[in-house]
Amino acid sequence: MRRTWRIVAIAALVVVLVIVLTPYLWLLMTSFKTRLDALADAPVWWFTPTLEHYPKVFFDKGYLPLVLNSLIVACGSTVLSLIVGVPAAYVFARHDFRGKEDLFFFFLTTRMAPPVSIVVPMFLMFGFVGLIDTRISVILAHSTFNLSLVVWMMRGFFADIPSEIDEAAQMDGHTRAGMFARVLLPLAAPGIVATAVLCFILSWNEFLYALILTAFESRTLTVGIPGLVTPHGTLWGQVAAVAVVATLPIIVFTFLVQRHLVRGLTFGAVKG
Amino acid sequence: MTPGRIGSRILDKGVGPLFLIPALVLLVVLLVGPFLYMVGVSFTDLSYALPGRDGNFLGFDNYRRLMREDPVFWESFGTTLTFVFGVVSVEFVLGFALALLLFHHIQRRRVVLSLLLIPMMLAPVAVGLMWKLMLHGEFGMLTHYLRQVGLLGLRTALLGNHDLVLPTVMLVDVWEWTPFVTLVVLAGLLSLPRDPFEAAIMDGARPWQVFRDITVPLMRPIIALVLLLRGIDAFKEFDKVFILTGGGPGTATELLSIYTWRINFRNWDLGYGAVNAFMVYLVVLILCAVFYKAIYWTEGRAPK
Repeated sequence: MRRTWRIVAIAALVVVLVIVLTPYLWLLMTSFKTRLDALADAPVWWFTPTLEHYPKVFFDKGYLPLVLNSLIVACGSTVLSLIVGVPAAYVFARHDFRGKEDLFFFFLTTRMAPPVSIVVPMFLMFGFVGLIDTRISVILAHSTFNLSLVVWMMRGFFADIPSEIDEAAQMDGHTRAGMFARVLLPLAAPGIVATAVLCFILSWNEFLYALILTAFESRTLTVGIPGLVTPHGTLWGQVAAVAVVATLPIIVFTFLVQRHLVRGLTFGAVKG
Repeated sequence: MTPGRIGSRILDKGVGPLFLIPALVLLVVLLVGPFLYMVGVSFTDLSYALPGRDGNFLGFDNYRRLMREDPVFWESFGTTLTFVFGVVSVEFVLGFALALLLFHHIQRRRVVLSLLLIPMMLAPVAVGLMWKLMLHGEFGMLTHYLRQVGLLGLRTALLGNHDLVLPTVMLVDVWEWTPFVTLVVLAGLLSLPRDPFEAAIMDGARPWQVFRDITVPLMRPIIALVLLLRGIDAFKEFDKVFILTGGGPGTATELLSIYTWRINFRNWDLGYGAVNAFMVYLVVLILCAVFYKAIYWTEGRAPK
């Protein structure tokens, strides 16, 4: 009886994995197919791979700067969110003050804020100060959700550090700020790394803010891909090539922080 | 007292506010400011497309227009509700089943879990394009096989058909987010205490009874959490559907977020668009409040 169940379970799992992986595999394959193979009537599974799409789209069509833009935006927003967010998270984890939980709720609402609502006034406001189509505008926009993610995740990581350590550090003559910098930060380092990776991914993948706030110069990769899709004659090989470059590094990153991912994605409520 | 000592005293006592204020300033400038600005604009006729409409005060006219004279908004609201309830319920059932399967019958899960993470970590834009490629009316891989087994007419394309398009984009969302439910539910199952289960089995309870009377009640907080998180995200859905259909054909897949985008950035009707944006925000805020209560409920105290 148990054996049969096990076989059923494994079979079901194989089906699930095939469904999960096939679309991405197909995208990968398309990025190496000639135009003829990509547009064939019957799907082509075996083909002679071509490498032409990658140099064509990144060099001839000038998509390489978009990779750089995405990198700068994602790194910038991650660093800004960490610098501002980690100390705040520490305060939430270690200090008590009136209205603390209400303030924490406010941070949650900023994480959940629908971009489509905020991007309109943000677009108008950045217009006044001349920040439209700059990477800074996108970095700031992405910090709205990344900052609160940092506060939520890091509060949990700080709370995991036993408070005896604080007491010991204070006995050693550290000020609170000194203790934070020299004792607690190093202990929380693994959490900071996991949080940083998640921030990077969220910013790298973001579409709507970047779409509205940039025009040409500072377009990110996600904004650039749809521009390759036209009603007729889309070069799917090139679309796929850009999509692969936009996703493959993220998959690698994901595996690196897998352990902390459930926690990050549920705002610390579930420890994976 | 030496200046150095005063400095260190400030560092000691003032750490709380000093550490908190930068974060608050950033959020006030980047979110509260725009939010208030949006509310302000919603009372005006500001438009970048029509002459003479440079922000004259209208009172509640835009709100009246939304409530009484805009059937497209309410149609879009309906589409969004269908989308949210459809995807969240299917993802929940499938994801929960998959988590139970992994929990009970598979011992070495690590690799499987890594692979399951892929759909939700890909950029939603890439997910949209991937599926656009698979579902293309002429050479789409899935289209081809569906036609071959007779499930799809030769001249029908899933993304071009008025009746099929909404279920199709919902299925893409199910593909993307079911693994999320699985991961969270599995993490929840693994954190449950073992005693109640052992006691129930000693008492001769059947697997179904164990599930109904022990697993589900113990898992209730996690279930609430997953449903709300998915609900909020599905309500805000934009990227995938925007790429897959742009809201079409017609308005068949025009979710609230896409409608709001169109009013603002296609029609440039910013005053009225602000009302739309405000409505979306309001719904999300309400869901957020419920979510927060649910977390309190999860842990019996403030979330850590």
